[in-house]
Amino acid sequence: MRSTQKKVLTKVHVLFLVQSCLIGTGILQLPQKLSSMGYSQAFMPILFSIIATITLWPMILLNSKFPTNNLFQINEILLGKIIGKFFNFLLVLLFTIICIDSISSYMLLIQSTALPEQTITLPVICFLALLVYLVRGGIFAIARFSILTFFITIPMVLFTKWAIQKGEFSHFFPLFNFTFQEFYEATKNGYLSFLGYELILFYYPFIIQQKSAFKYATIGIWISGVLMLITTGVSVMYFSEWQLSNIEFAVLNIFKAGEYSFIERIDIIGMTLWIFLVYSTVALYLWAANEGFKSLILAKSQIHLYILVIAIFIALIIPLSQHLKEKIFTINNYVFYLLLLWPIFLSIIYFFRKKQVQQ
Amino acid sequence: MIFVKIIIRTSSAKWLKKINTKYSPNAQYTLQLLHLLSDNSNDIIFQKKQTSEGFVTIIYSSSLVEKMTLQAVVLVPLSHSIYQIYQTAEPIHFKQIAALEQKINAGNTILYFHETQQYLALDTYSAPIRAITNTEIESTVIGPQDSFTESLETNISLIRRRIRSHLLKNESMYLSSNKQYQVSIMYIDNIVNKKLLRKLKKRLQHVNPTSLLDTAMLKQLIEDNPFSPFPQYYMSVRPDTIAHYLLDGRIALLINNSQTVIVCPTSFFEMFTSIEDYYNRWTTATLLRSLRFFGFFLTIMITPTYISALTFHPDLLPYELLLNLQESRSKVPFPPLFEVLFIELIIEVLREAGSRMPAKVGQTIGIVGGIVIGTAAVEAGLISNILIVLVATSALLSFLPPTFIMSNTSRLVRYFFIIAAGCFGLFGQMLVFVWLFIHLLRIRSLGEPYMAPFIPRKWTDLLNSVIRFPMAFLKHRMGISKSQKS
Repeated sequence: MRSTQKKVLTKVHVLFLVQSCLIGTGILQLPQKLSSMGYSQAFMPILFSIIATITLWPMILLNSKFPTNNLFQINEILLGKIIGKFFNFLLVLLFTIICIDSISSYMLLIQSTALPEQTITLPVICFLALLVYLVRGGIFAIARFSILTFFITIPMVLFTKWAIQKGEFSHFFPLFNFTFQEFYEATKNGYLSFLGYELILFYYPFIIQQKSAFKYATIGIWISGVLMLITTGVSVMYFSEWQLSNIEFAVLNIFKAGEYSFIERIDIIGMTLWIFLVYSTVALYLWAANEGFKSLILAKSQIHLYILVIAIFIALIIPLSQHLKEKIFTINNYVFYLLLLWPIFLSIIYFFRKKQVQQ
Repeated sequence: MIFVKIIIRTSSAKWLKKINTKYSPNAQYTLQLLHLLSDNSNDIIFQKKQTSEGFVTIIYSSSLVEKMTLQAVVLVPLSHSIYQIYQTAEPIHFKQIAALEQKINAGNTILYFHETQQYLALDTYSAPIRAITNTEIESTVIGPQDSFTESLETNISLIRRRIRSHLLKNESMYLSSNKQYQVSIMYIDNIVNKKLLRKLKKRLQHVNPTSLLDTAMLKQLIEDNPFSPFPQYYMSVRPDTIAHYLLDGRIALLINNSQTVIVCPTSFFEMFTSIEDYYNRWTTATLLRSLRFFGFFLTIMITPTYISALTFHPDLLPYELLLNLQESRSKVPFPPLFEVLFIELIIEVLREAGSRMPAKVGQTIGIVGGIVIGTAAVEAGLISNILIVLVATSALLSFLPPTFIMSNTSRLVRYFFIIAAGCFGLFGQMLVFVWLFIHLLRIRSLGEPYMAPFIPRKWTDLLNSVIRFPMAFLKHRMGISKSQKS
């Protein structure tokens, strides 16, 4: 088991790793996932940002106790080799499924709108080949790609201009017009779009200035929070309540409001440009899965990455029913909530086994 | 001794090269060996002269030594003040046949004194060199107009003229085992990053080229990613550009007989900067830089977007514009992908043919080619006239980068985009775009990130990025230099 990692990530890298991973594909469906709250959903990203900041704290606390180890290694240290490896296996599975989920939902979107007359096999192969190329560059390459992704995609915020112009500001009122059940439903479904920051548990050993990791990760969370706030806010202004609950990729439909004399469908550009965000998210999860795989067997081999990518490819092209797929993804997503609590659980174990661990 | 005589009389020069020096038992045999080794070289002159010191054999290459120089440096002192020769010449042992041969081929004159059996070498290199002229490759409107020549000494002097400091160092080293290729590494001692310097020297030590005719060849041997289409070191023929980079803490590489000088490390962004940016006012410089930089992305996107819009996303364009495009393509029987590939390849052929031909013929080819493509091809229904406009714009944009190698790269990368657009439309374009950025993020220049300063080494780099701030703000050296004094 490796105990030391080469520190390559600066605080700026941490900021953008957190920020880019949060945006991903989740934001595209966020207004629909929050639709149970109707127009009151607009301010939910603020709540999510607060929850994320609170849950980030135990993660950093745990990592600070093991500054040279990632969660896979911490699991083995605190839970013992066999139980630790078992949980690591589950984590690898979890991350692989999230990769499949993100890629399949994006590819579905591409096929339905940009490439309606083609099968998706070849584009998926190209997508995965590039993904391998990115992940092989390591966490440093992914971090730098995340920075670039932010600056390439941020101009898309300008596309919301027309939706704001055409939207109704009065939709925001009355404030807090929802029941507890609606709030619970929205939080349960919507917070999934806010996941991604928990991966700091895995790249923490690579951070140079570990003491400022919390600060910069929080800034990353809040940048994403503000972007999601803009998205939900504009969606609330532009769509009716029925539309919010029925339009799957509301954000792309916001782009459709744009009017240029030389471009008709800005949403196609937005959708294809979104690939950068998908890559920055999926690459980070795949990198984490690969690291976990390495902790299970053959630490120095590169074959894990290829095995994982082949597994993802098979899962993407296998003709499973949409219903089954969605069920697997939903279960997987709920397991993610447990991952948020996992650092607290490990911190308790650390408290009891502190002396043993230090020995 | 008899054995050596037999070898000399019977063996070929090629075999003799392999003879160990121990077979030359005295200076006289060395002379005979030298004679034999230069058997087929008519420009290697052996001249025997009677002097006050006895007989002297003068050996030199008539193609590397001018008669005037020979007269002044060798013949006159031989007849009048022979002690002057002893003072300036370098003695060489008779057993060092390879060294003697090398000296002759480097333009030295060898003197063999028969009485004392002594070999002396005198530096008489005086091969004709080109005068310092205006640069044709990197011409600028404002600023100095001189450019490097093929003479290493001249090039070094052009740099030294601009940086008059004892801290400007010029280290020489040989690249091949036969000491044929001399490289000069120039840097400013108190600024340059010593770690980068050591890294470069180490790379140069591992290079053993079979032929090295230009620094462009050397560059490919010492680049970090030789398989990448992107040039990772800057190349320039302008002394002011090289001086600018040296003052920024970079390292310059010069070789003899090459007009271009390598600068390392350099970033992707710097491939779009010109020294003229600093001679212009900051506002104008910023405008021109932006044009060059964004021009690169436009040139790789214009024609692929045409393919994507017509093949996969007709709803991307407004109805009126789409109607125009369709009307323009009404006679064209090919799909947009082949139409674009056809015209792009013709442009490439024209460019290549134009650059290889004599200047006057080249211009004619350009005009004739332009008319043929511009009118005849459209009338023949081979291509649409809207595509002509797009291709012409794209071709012009590709020539914006000041470094010609980057122009070539942009044209190559454009083909990746064209094919991807033909296969998957805008999605394909974005896939290649992602590849482009991942690739640019992964490659390095002398171990330093190629994407600096956009992924900055330090924030002050952004003052001298696409936007060139006024000179008063440019107080810091670029982060990629990792200079000792920033």
